[in-house]
Amino acid sequence: MGIRLYEEPKLKNPVLIASWPGIGNIGIIAVNYLRQMVNAREFGEIEPWDFFDPRRVLIEGGLLKELEFPSSKFYFQRTQNRDLIFFVGEQQPTETGTPYPGGRKVLEIANLVLDVALKFGCRRVYVSGAALAPIHHTARPRVWAVPNSESLVSEVRGYENTILMSDVEGRGGQGNITGLNGLLLGVARKRGLEAVCMLGEIPFYLQGLSMVYPEASKSVLEVLSKILGIEIDFSVLDKMVAQVDQGIGRLEAQFYEQAPPEMAERIRNWLESFKYKPTESRLITEEDQKWIKEHIDELFKRGGEEGDRPL
Amino acid sequence: MSSSRGEGRKVTDLFRFHRQPQLQNPSLIVGFSEDAGKLAPKVIDYLNEKIKAESFCEIEPSEFFPLGGVAVENDIAQFPESKFYCGERKDLVIFKGSEPRFGRYQFLQTILDVAEQHCKIKELYTISGTISSVAHTTPRSILTVFNQPEFQKRLRGYGLENMNWEGWPALNSFLLWVAERRNIPGVSLWPVVPFYLAAVDDWEAQKRVLEFLDKRFGLGIDFSDINDDVAKQNEKMAELRTRSPEVDSYVQRLESNLTLTEEENERLAREVEEFLGGKD
Repeated sequence: MGIRLYEEPKLKNPVLIASWPGIGNIGIIAVNYLRQMVNAREFGEIEPWDFFDPRRVLIEGGLLKELEFPSSKFYFQRTQNRDLIFFVGEQQPTETGTPYPGGRKVLEIANLVLDVALKFGCRRVYVSGAALAPIHHTARPRVWAVPNSESLVSEVRGYENTILMSDVEGRGGQGNITGLNGLLLGVARKRGLEAVCMLGEIPFYLQGLSMVYPEASKSVLEVLSKILGIEIDFSVLDKMVAQVDQGIGRLEAQFYEQAPPEMAERIRNWLESFKYKPTESRLITEEDQKWIKEHIDELFKRGGEEGDRPL
Repeated sequence: MSSSRGEGRKVTDLFRFHRQPQLQNPSLIVGFSEDAGKLAPKVIDYLNEKIKAESFCEIEPSEFFPLGGVAVENDIAQFPESKFYCGERKDLVIFKGSEPRFGRYQFLQTILDVAEQHCKIKELYTISGTISSVAHTTPRSILTVFNQPEFQKRLRGYGLENMNWEGWPALNSFLLWVAERRNIPGVSLWPVVPFYLAAVDDWEAQKRVLEFLDKRFGLGIDFSDINDDVAKQNEKMAELRTRSPEVDSYVQRLESNLTLTEEENERLAREVEEFLGGKD
């Protein structure tokens, strides 16, 4: 089990920007987009076989040519303002005997990522993931920023379109970030690294649809680009956002057509109440959220099965 | 004797020797319990019986299988077993095991730790059936996957066929890959099993693999018992074809290299399974 570095670049006070897949792939889209924008170069990987099963084999003429595993790769780039290390994991290790991230392997992989960060002199880590929020899908998602130490709070308060957990309606500063996008914060703290997790808001009723949500990735990227002093061309991401928006719009229309009128009306009213007012959103009860999510999921999924899924 | 693996984790015995085998330059033959046409477990059991092999080592299940209880199959409580065997022959080590539910890489490493470090194996052979749309009346071929081209060359002349495949990897392919990283030459033997015999015994395919192993290792196996089983199964299949024109037409189409619809596949498999049942 270990790390393979193809080269050891000289970097000055680099920051690590890391992500793994999660709800809406918000973090990983943001990190990959930034990585591609700055043209970062691959310089290492975590050997996968202790963490993941192979996902593809290539056999040609009776010879085993290739066994492919999910990758966990490191990239670097020197920019005008900051040197950057990126880590992109294609999969999170799962808890023994379950399909969910967790267990000893998750802790091991988090430590390996930070081993590389520390080796190159990194003192600051950014991670990104998703925040399930009671927002409308036409609203601009905010970014929930979760630092791993008190000393970062005032800095985080200065980020644009960003809130702390204590600013989130009804949360009182409490919450839970599941999987490696959250765990890395804790492991970084244990090893003396500053870290901030940027969670892009995704409407909670979309969580069951296993679709990407690039609108939130864009919000995360807007914040990251300011922090890092990097100008980003969002045009490609904007096209992706437009495609997904259209898809959700189609599903929504289909939903209103198919749902019993009473249910459709209830959902429509609720969604309308959140439209264009993400930062003033009115709270709904947990019971309401559950009911809405269950029924929207059911109908959106039906739409998807009929081939009208956006992605 | 036992061994542990892992840094910074709970120290657990991964395998346990009951006795030290007397071996000389052996090859390792591996088969997992869950297999099409019951092929791998039947071949391993047959081989073990013929060479009077007994277990000398086993992999402990706790790291690789959920142990919150036991599964019951066909009225019998099951428990994962992963055992190494050897017998009169000093050149053969046989492994029969359940496929691990988690920690697959570590499980495969453990197999090879035992085989390489304690048994000094020189070659690896894995066995598993591959389901195909062929008729039971066609000769069974063995498709192969090698992890080293030199080993592939050495086994020319045994009537083996090369496999081509891209997709989800089987555990045996993973094992071959792990063996290659240790520079152990290995081959996966994939005898073709007609899909409608996948749920029962495919004696012909079992015999085909045993014939290869017999020739490769000079075992001198007397095949009269398995020949009887093959003959009985063929007779029963002929009887079924006489009783059921539908089954006969399906088999005839397969014999002519024609494909069946999914529904016809299912019907043929069901009819054969019901007729042969567990009797064979």
